[in-house]
Amino acid sequence: MSSALRRVAQTASILKGRALGSVTNGSKYTKNFVQYLELPNGEIGSYFHDVPLALDAEHRTINMVVEVPRWSNGKFEVSKEKDYNPIVQDVKDGQVRFVHNIFPFHGYIHNYGSIPQTWEDPLVKSTHPGVQGLKGDNDPLDCCEIGSQILEMGQVRKVKVLGSLAMIDDGELDWKVIVIDAEDPLSKQVNSLKDVETHFPNLLSSTREWFRNYKIPAGKPPNTFAYGGAYRDFPETLSIIQGCHDSWKRLLFMENQNSKTPNAKRAGKGLVIKPDHAPDSTIDPENDKWYYI
Amino acid sequence: MTYTTRQIGAKNSLDYKVFIEKDGKPISAFHDIPLYADEENQILNMVVEIPRWTNAKLEITKEEPLNPIIQDTKKGKLRFVRNCFPHHGYIHNYGAFPQTWEDPNSIHPETKAAGDNDPLDVLEIGETIGYTGQVKQVKALGVMALLDEGETDWKIIAIDVNDPLAPKLNDIEDVEKYFPGLLRATNEWFRIYKIPDGKPENQFAFSGEAKNRKYALDVIRECREAWEKLIKGEAADSKKIDLTNTTLSGTPSYSASAAAQVPQADKKPDEPIDKSIDKWFFISGSA
Repeated sequence: MSSALRRVAQTASILKGRALGSVTNGSKYTKNFVQYLELPNGEIGSYFHDVPLALDAEHRTINMVVEVPRWSNGKFEVSKEKDYNPIVQDVKDGQVRFVHNIFPFHGYIHNYGSIPQTWEDPLVKSTHPGVQGLKGDNDPLDCCEIGSQILEMGQVRKVKVLGSLAMIDDGELDWKVIVIDAEDPLSKQVNSLKDVETHFPNLLSSTREWFRNYKIPAGKPPNTFAYGGAYRDFPETLSIIQGCHDSWKRLLFMENQNSKTPNAKRAGKGLVIKPDHAPDSTIDPENDKWYYI
Repeated sequence: MTYTTRQIGAKNSLDYKVFIEKDGKPISAFHDIPLYADEENQILNMVVEIPRWTNAKLEITKEEPLNPIIQDTKKGKLRFVRNCFPHHGYIHNYGAFPQTWEDPNSIHPETKAAGDNDPLDVLEIGETIGYTGQVKQVKALGVMALLDEGETDWKIIAIDVNDPLAPKLNDIEDVEKYFPGLLRATNEWFRIYKIPDGKPENQFAFSGEAKNRKYALDVIRECREAWEKLIKGEAADSKKIDLTNTTLSGTPSYSASAAAQVPQADKKPDEPIDKSIDKWFFISGSA
């Protein structure tokens, strides 16, 4: 087995049947904040590469890494640059980034996160019908969890895939996969986009409105969507996830990684990082403002 | 004049109390803070009870001397409002005007309903999130007449005079201009907020329309007059409201010593809120 293949296979054995944890360093809402994945054997792993996708097509479930809890504003995400891809707060113009509150919404309206072991390839044009010719945004697939609980940053949750929305951000394809926590009380009853509309009326249209408008207060144009903004069903979303999982496998094998290619360092060397948790920093009250679009 | 707060107990617990202090001495949040901060310019003092985007139903209590802010309870349990999609908690800084009373002994000629026995409610729409016990100066812009379980429960719409938009907001139509959709959302919020608890939808008088600033100032004046009767002991029925005050020496309930009875500050760390409060309720056909 090649070393790259071994690296693809390795985490299954490390992770089997045991809980994942996290290790935090630095004060939240500062540039120094990092939250690493901690594997059951105590070593640091990558949220991007070492959490298994765990795709179960029969039960329609995958793993999700929670980056942003519902109703909060801090734009936290799995780092592409740092070794082991910890969760960090996005920085823009030297400042940590918060999303604006778009009336009538407060912060993010879902538990927002990423799908591990997936990659929206920025180098290859999509051949998927309806989005042909578009390149990916170089990130793991994004997902929006709609369950009743507020999830915590850094949690890995088993979620059920319901559908997706093909957002186009600055010409790049940026899928938003709609999911519900497998342990949510409604999870068993919600299996399709139609079920989402029944149990969460108006949530899907609000989600599209939110993604369309959320960058407008920062002076950006509205985002657009492929398929005229229509949501894609489970079978089509499944093929998107599988395609992005294949792209991720290619990423691990890639020889000519450049500065923009995500950092692909993985667990296996036994790196241990001790928690060094400082109290949260205060958030500028400026971020409490409500923007009327 | 500086107002501060004196917290006793932990937020989200039955022991939680916030007294308002003036120059470090506890006063009544209901009776001792002047309604008018600047009567000539109709600038009003508002007591913030509930910060925007929170759920705990905090209010000035009528039953205890100096009327601290406490969390409402129901069947012995702390009360939280439900999140009704797309809203999160209260959507304004919610509070009350001191020295006002919605008299339950009197039927309003236009709403045809009696007052709800509380100080007049205020919805402050400025961009900054307030804090429980904050006394802020606001400008009234309009009013909506909620009929909450059959009682008149006026909601004055106001903005903090220090908000960057305050100079541009002078009447109710300016609210729609600068906060498009907020009045409609406010209407929806109050209609549906008790539905998750199994109650029927609330109704508004005037077909849900918000009345203008002039109407609001009249409502404020009426509630001010009702309170004046109440504090003088002239109300038809004072409904067991505690009228103890420390500044109105001509009133029967004046007490120079009441402030000294208030316990010293004893702020404890916030208690966690039960996770069930995070649930979003989707009410079909509301939006």
